[in-house]
Amino acid sequence: MACIERSSPALKQILLKLYRAEKSIEIDHHLYEFGSVEYHIQSQATNPLVAYLSISTPPLYHGNLPNNLSPYTIEMVKGICPNLVEIEEPAREGYQLTLKLNLDQIPRNKDYVKVIEDISTVQSVIISSQLKEILCNVNSDDASQGMYKPIKLVYHPREPFFVIRQQQRIIAIFPIRFKEKFDVVIATAFFQELVDVGNSDKWVKTPPCTWSAIPPPELTGEALEDLSTNGGFVSFDISSRHIEGNRLDKTVWNLLNFNANVRYHVKSTKGFIQRRMRKRLENLVEVLHQTNSEEIEQTKQVKQQHQGRRSTKKLVRSSKHTMKKRWYTLGRKIKRISFRLKIHGFTRFRQCWFQKNSSTKYTKLE
Amino acid sequence: MGSTTLRLYLTCIRNTLDAAMCLQNFPCQEVERHNKPEVELKTSPELLLNPVLICRNEAEKCLIETSINSLTISLKVKQADELENILTKKFLRFLSMRAEAFQVLRRKPVQGYDISFPITNYHCEEMQKQKLIDFIVQFMEDIEKEISELKMSVNTRGRLVATEFLKQFI
Repeated sequence: MACIERSSPALKQILLKLYRAEKSIEIDHHLYEFGSVEYHIQSQATNPLVAYLSISTPPLYHGNLPNNLSPYTIEMVKGICPNLVEIEEPAREGYQLTLKLNLDQIPRNKDYVKVIEDISTVQSVIISSQLKEILCNVNSDDASQGMYKPIKLVYHPREPFFVIRQQQRIIAIFPIRFKEKFDVVIATAFFQELVDVGNSDKWVKTPPCTWSAIPPPELTGEALEDLSTNGGFVSFDISSRHIEGNRLDKTVWNLLNFNANVRYHVKSTKGFIQRRMRKRLENLVEVLHQTNSEEIEQTKQVKQQHQGRRSTKKLVRSSKHTMKKRWYTLGRKIKRISFRLKIHGFTRFRQCWFQKNSSTKYTKLE
Repeated sequence: MGSTTLRLYLTCIRNTLDAAMCLQNFPCQEVERHNKPEVELKTSPELLLNPVLICRNEAEKCLIETSINSLTISLKVKQADELENILTKKFLRFLSMRAEAFQVLRRKPVQGYDISFPITNYHCEEMQKQKLIDFIVQFMEDIEKEISELKMSVNTRGRLVATEFLKQFI
């Protein structure tokens, strides 16, 4: 999923195309991601070994921090590929950062893909560094009557989350909103499982997670539009051990992409349910059609039986007639055979002879 | 206990359907050369029999409305929580929208119920009565099983995803 990957897929593809081109090509691309992140890649045919990458990304925190990038963020960006990437001062107009990419420094072996992928993660590096700064530093202006004010952060548009720094821990609170009720139900089931799993003994090292349908007390005083949700509020308690060393980067990235993970899970669950329903429908219809086909077969068999009886009757009737005809013919043959000698006119003589000797003839009495 | 009550419930429905599914062809009394299922129109009370309501509990029930040439079986399926509620609605709506594949399914269930089966005398002529009854009873069992399995699958998926998500913190 593009929003969970650190590298920008489109930027990576363009840089790979630029690197792999056999001839020097001229590139001037504007890319937009998530509606608010803008990239500008330029490369001239006269100087194919150098490319310029400008980035404009909305800041994570719209508070007192200036729109320009902090020194900490600049340091993190420089650390992407120190030999390859140079920061151009000043940045191009309309952009926060312009990088000069020395393409001849990219290794010629198989590692070039990884190097280009690292360059494509520049936007995620900027945003992660901003959250790391917030988690690690304590801003005294935020303290008000002993309570730390929630810091509203926006990674994806319309999906803000809050970070509240307390003495022993940092609380990250995610208000969850969905357009459809079905999504809310699936997400709520997921949050219940997340809380169950997180509270088990096996996952003690992970930040404890809680879910509530109502805004937690830490968000008292926030704007109503931020507190009106249909999916409740998910809170993570982050302690110092979760932001030490290498874990800081993982924790920061997980928090930034929590909303995206939830939405991806909801979407894939809906797809799973749809596939399962379709398969079940086929099974149910198959049963009905099988029943129908059994009945149709039975009906056919009955019809065939009826047809069989009719044809048998026909056969019987026709055979009787044929038999009679055969017997008659045979009889005549036998009669012919019995007279071995055939004398022309004898038949007539025989008939006359039999007529003379017939006793049934009357004689006239005189 | 649950399976016992289910068996009794299904047996009662089977026996009632056996008695109710004595349908015959009956042309429409109001429009000549028309033949309509009287249980849907309900314009002639003399052609309608008393509807029978069979309840397993408050949440599950079956309504059998009979007429001279047709009958409708409407089912209300058990929905214990919101997830089951939404899964049942989704699944039965999915089936109802594909009613032409079933022939004996109504696109829109009777009000107050989740799914309806209209059966006419033509269906009884084309298909065997006992097989139709078997199909409906089997359908009821399958729906209950399918909803339970869907709910379990959704929860299992959620658990797996939660585990994978929390692993990334370690």
